[in-house]
Amino acid sequence: MEQDRVERTVHIAATTERVWDILTKTEHIGRWFGPGTPATVDLRPEGVMVIEPGPPGEKYLARIVKVDPPHYFSYRWASAFPDVLADETNSTLVEFQLAAEGATTRLTVCESGFATLKIPVGREVFASYESHSQGWIEVIRNLANYVEQGAS
Amino acid sequence: MTTALLDHADELFAALAEPNRRLLLEHLGSYGVATATTLAAELPVTRQAVTQHLAVLESVNLVSSARAGRERRYTVHVEPLTAAAKWMNQVAALWDSRLAAIKALAEAPPD
Repeated sequence: MEQDRVERTVHIAATTERVWDILTKTEHIGRWFGPGTPATVDLRPEGVMVIEPGPPGEKYLARIVKVDPPHYFSYRWASAFPDVLADETNSTLVEFQLAAEGATTRLTVCESGFATLKIPVGREVFASYESHSQGWIEVIRNLANYVEQGAS
Repeated sequence: MTTALLDHADELFAALAEPNRRLLLEHLGSYGVATATTLAAELPVTRQAVTQHLAVLESVNLVSSARAGRERRYTVHVEPLTAAAKWMNQVAALWDSRLAAIKALAEAPPD
């Protein structure tokens, strides 16, 4: 299931330790992954992290999988199910990898597991713009192009 | 509508996860309309396997079929593919905006 993933990378002019703090500290998480208020984080494997990435008041109970400061952080979250603790059947795996490049950091996020995710009607994500990604998007876009060309 | 797709997103992705089914879709797309016998001649799998793959693809509305004489003729539906691509684009766009927020926080002077 290698194509069953979204992977994005950003280069940051800060140390891996600094980026790690932003990623995992309670006072920071809420600012990049929520409404700005501190998030609740029990930073250990099986620990619960409460995030509010969507409409105000809608909480998601992510379950932390692995914590390896300052290089790797992963959790599962049930992005289609507010207030439900993530488990193997209702969630995707989100992995952050931090790599030092001189004094800067390459941060990669990978979300995977969409093929086993049950997504109820009406729980679609709420972004209004589109961008480019790899993996699945390439596969299905290529397929769609190929099929459209073949049909014409 | 993405909503219609999302109701079956798990089945759709699972159907597309099998490499031979993606290959099958490509070949069927190039033919426009084809029978399982025609497709099996192009692929390293048996006609029986092709029929089973086509049944999976049809169950998630990626192909449809109609009986023609002794065989069924299959065609590709492109709409679920483009809807799935759009949905994955939205997931990626959300991560782009979150990564941009992380970058801004990390690069800002400490409080």
